[in-house]
Amino acid sequence: MRFSIFEVFEKMFYIFLEPLDDESTEYDMEAAIRFEGFLSGKIRILFSMDIAKTMIQNMLGLKEDEITTQRMEDCSKEAVNMICGNFLGKLDSTKVFNLTMPSFRMETASIEPGKNACRMNFDSDEGKIGVIFDADGRV
Amino acid sequence: MSFNVLIVDDSNSMRAVIKKVISISGFKMDQCIEAGNGKEALKALTDNWVDVIISDINMPEMNGFELLKSLKDDDLLKNIPVILISTESSKERMQDAFNLGAKGFIKKPFTPEAVKKILYEVIGASNEKEDRGDNEVFDF
Repeated sequence: MRFSIFEVFEKMFYIFLEPLDDESTEYDMEAAIRFEGFLSGKIRILFSMDIAKTMIQNMLGLKEDEITTQRMEDCSKEAVNMICGNFLGKLDSTKVFNLTMPSFRMETASIEPGKNACRMNFDSDEGKIGVIFDADGRV
Repeated sequence: MSFNVLIVDDSNSMRAVIKKVISISGFKMDQCIEAGNGKEALKALTDNWVDVIISDINMPEMNGFELLKSLKDDDLLKNIPVILISTESSKERMQDAFNLGAKGFIKKPFTPEAVKKILYEVIGASNEKEDRGDNEVFDF
């Protein structure tokens, strides 16, 4: 999972993340996607405002005053979609998974991971992200 | 020689990135048409002729596979080369795509080099700009 997160952020957003132990970070928005297959679950990515803005600027070459909420939503949803697809492909490229359309919200709901979930936090010069991988078992 | 391209993706940002990557990859685009899903793409094709379609798979309304099927069933459109661009890259999904007539597959996240390589394979080196002086730097 970590490798997929690093790969997507480096290739698409030119942001270099480092693992962060501090779990008290507050985030400003969330994008999530659900996947189903031999393993099913949900991936949620929590973004700080700073990193969301940098992602757009780096990906689209925009200035700060050109950043809109719609673009932040678009970019965040694309990030969670790419991380999920990349991770599942690495998990088992012979298996087919169905991915839902990503969702987005400008606030973070409860970020307490469920009992089958794990949470990772990452830091960068441009801001922070949190990733919650919540597997709900084999189907 | 320049070409017309149809980019199909429900993400405005991703369409903008793909367009930019094609441009800096040294391929001359005459016209770049954008669509948010397969249905919009088919509608756009009633009014425009394109040389290549670059399409996402996971889209609302009509996904990339459904678009491929519709193109395959249309005598006027079935020969337009389609490159799928997606996060979904299982071997089975890729084989399904090629069975439906896709000519190339680009896995997200992608580099400009990967896009350039597939474009070369699908539409040929003849489309590359003659003057590529500034295009070696993939700064976008």
